[in-house]
Amino acid sequence: MAIVQVENFSFAYPGEGRGASFDMGAAGADAGRVAAHDTEQTSGWALSNVSFSVEEGAFCVLVGPTGCGKTTLLRALKPELAPAGEKRGCMRVLGRAVLEDGVAVAGLTARESAEQIGFVMQDPAAQIVCDTVWHELAFGLENLGMGQDEMRRRIAEVAHFFGIEPVMRAATETLSGGQKQLVNLAAVLALRPRLLLLDEPTAQLDPNAQRQFIFMLARVNRELGTTVVMATHAPEDAEPYVTQRVELGYVPPLGERAAVRVPLAVGQEPTPSTPSTPSTPSTPSTPSTPSTPALLVKDAFFRYGRRDPWVLRGLSVRVSPGTVHAFVGGNGCGKTTLLHLMAGVLKPQDGRVLSPHADRQVLMPQDPKALLVCDTVAEELAEWRARCGYTAEDERRVCARFGLDGLENRHPYDLSGGQQQKLALAKLLLADPQLLFLDEPTKGLDASACADAAHMVRALAAEGRTVVLVTHDLDFAYAVADEVSMLFDGELACTEPSATFFARNLVYRPHDRSRFFGALAACEGRQP
Amino acid sequence: MFETYHPAVAFAYLACCIAVAMAALQPVYVVLSLAGALACACVTRGPGAAARSLAWALPLVALVTVVNPLFSASGSTEIMRLGSRAVYAESLFYGACSGGMLAAVLVWFTSYAACMTSENSMALFGNVAPVLVTMVSQVLRLIPQFVSRGRKIAAVQDAASSAAPRGRREQARDRMRTVSVLMGWGMEDGLVRSDAMRARGYGCGARRTSYRRFRVKAADAAVLACVLALAAVNAPLVALACGQYAFYPTLSVLVVWWGYLPYAALMAVPVVLQAKEAWQWRSSK
Repeated sequence: MAIVQVENFSFAYPGEGRGASFDMGAAGADAGRVAAHDTEQTSGWALSNVSFSVEEGAFCVLVGPTGCGKTTLLRALKPELAPAGEKRGCMRVLGRAVLEDGVAVAGLTARESAEQIGFVMQDPAAQIVCDTVWHELAFGLENLGMGQDEMRRRIAEVAHFFGIEPVMRAATETLSGGQKQLVNLAAVLALRPRLLLLDEPTAQLDPNAQRQFIFMLARVNRELGTTVVMATHAPEDAEPYVTQRVELGYVPPLGERAAVRVPLAVGQEPTPSTPSTPSTPSTPSTPSTPSTPALLVKDAFFRYGRRDPWVLRGLSVRVSPGTVHAFVGGNGCGKTTLLHLMAGVLKPQDGRVLSPHADRQVLMPQDPKALLVCDTVAEELAEWRARCGYTAEDERRVCARFGLDGLENRHPYDLSGGQQQKLALAKLLLADPQLLFLDEPTKGLDASACADAAHMVRALAAEGRTVVLVTHDLDFAYAVADEVSMLFDGELACTEPSATFFARNLVYRPHDRSRFFGALAACEGRQP
Repeated sequence: MFETYHPAVAFAYLACCIAVAMAALQPVYVVLSLAGALACACVTRGPGAAARSLAWALPLVALVTVVNPLFSASGSTEIMRLGSRAVYAESLFYGACSGGMLAAVLVWFTSYAACMTSENSMALFGNVAPVLVTMVSQVLRLIPQFVSRGRKIAAVQDAASSAAPRGRREQARDRMRTVSVLMGWGMEDGLVRSDAMRARGYGCGARRTSYRRFRVKAADAAVLACVLALAAVNAPLVALACGQYAFYPTLSVLVVWWGYLPYAALMAVPVVLQAKEAWQWRSSK
């Protein structure tokens, strides 16, 4: 018997705007975008006439771009998280009805739902409740009023299964993103659910942690027989384990790397070009070394405390003006530290950082929320008007350039991740910086949003601005960077023009085929 | 040293010692509790850390000794005059005793901090107030997250020199902004977290239990019983000794008395446990 049955499910959020979507909780961000962008769908419906069923023991992926309603659909399957709004159709979960002809019915008690349906969300940090790993694993069991001995057994089992014994006593805040997400999965599995629902669980993780998480999830599915339904915009990672696919929206096809000319030419920018964007010829792929660098780091040493190990030891690098310089490297190799050092947030303990543009620079944080403070998109863009001396006309132009028209009255938190990032970049660009630092600019973005970001970055360089970015995403670095540096052991292992760099690497290489390249090719196709 | 025992043992022992040390202002008891506090610090925090605590404890004793005669001009043995005020030997001695008592209590508290981590405290009081423990656990999780986020937000502001504040007022406004970004972000997270809690059955109607990492073993019960018995024996003896002793107008004469032995035994508990552990380690190899 099918464990999940969805028949002609349609869903619309009650009204639009901040007030309504705020009530929906975390689904708000995802759903807001749906409401704004579903002109091609039946008017007003975030999801319309979705039907599918999942057999017990299956590994099912719900595929679609950000904002296609994946989150809404998943949450509707778990009664206590079901979003408020207008519903049609029927839903049965674990053989019990939760929705009949658009009316929610209590087929599952809260306790049954907690025990049998596990739910893992996107943000690894936000869903952790307790301060230590063992308490986090115990949290769900405590809620059900389980006895001591049974709790011990369950916690011991999941800790063993996931190999997290070494961090059992650690504070959850000290874990890496990948470890946090594994703890979240383990905490849910301690309840021994029959059905596991996951909403973009790997979107915030680096590529290594993504692979590890998917691998563990596949083990849960195969060895424990738990049914998995996972929403994702990058289904290829789970491809070897997936038994069923449900497509909820357009996902760019896989594209060949060879088909993409790098660095991207600026004329291909998908957003309409504006008068403020002078169309200078694209920068040559191997920039000639000019007399004055845009940024120079000489023999920089840095550590966070006097007893701590050195993070950077004698690192030197030269960034040429008007180019895109990417820094790649493993987890915790000091990429973000280096970025903060170059931006002057941290000072080297030895060595120098020479930055002629130190008074005309901006830093784009990993999470755009660190930059967003106002109640609407329009206010956000206007915030620095007085101190930077731009006009309302400039704001409208930048809005159009980044495809934010029509969103002016939305709350920044109601935008999708990609839109939030565009807003943050738009806000920073209004300050007219010469030097931009980007920290993981593609984190959490789907393939189309990544392609947009790639075009934006190239356009910045074409305007003569210098872009310094750190990233895990080698495909992205391949497509946008003029020069790439590999950071290892506190030094730069090598700095080379992008093409040479990737040609000579064995491990640090972009994919041969990926959806990101597919999205880039699609953009190219759209251009005349 | 208390690591192998239930947190209740460390708590009971340290609480008793701190209570007696605070109550017993009598020279012999002060000397014993200072020695016991240092011995316990040696065992729980290591000899180096204990020696370092002497570096502030001894000056503290000296300071209180010198300062006390300036405030209390009582006693009978005048040793010198400062202007119109007499300095009496009894007053100096009282100062030395109270300084020693203060130092002993503070050293006891360093051991307490070393033994009773937040996790141990929660394990201990969790049974009394399970809801409180969950709340404390959540708050303990949020504090480091807020601090690290605050740093990130400040870093982004500092790095955005293109939009640098003009003048003090804007600078102050930017700092306020950090707070409001933190609040907004925190509230957004709060929505996700409350969903994560409900998804795992928080408030599903069942009576919550709380997971206990520590079980009470026979050895725990034995040491706990010893500590409590010693404390019970000491209480009347301390009251008696302190009641009979007077600093003013003349110092009472101290005599050899069996009543000090139970207190010495209480002070020796950590050292004995440590010696037992060392002996077991050696004999098991």
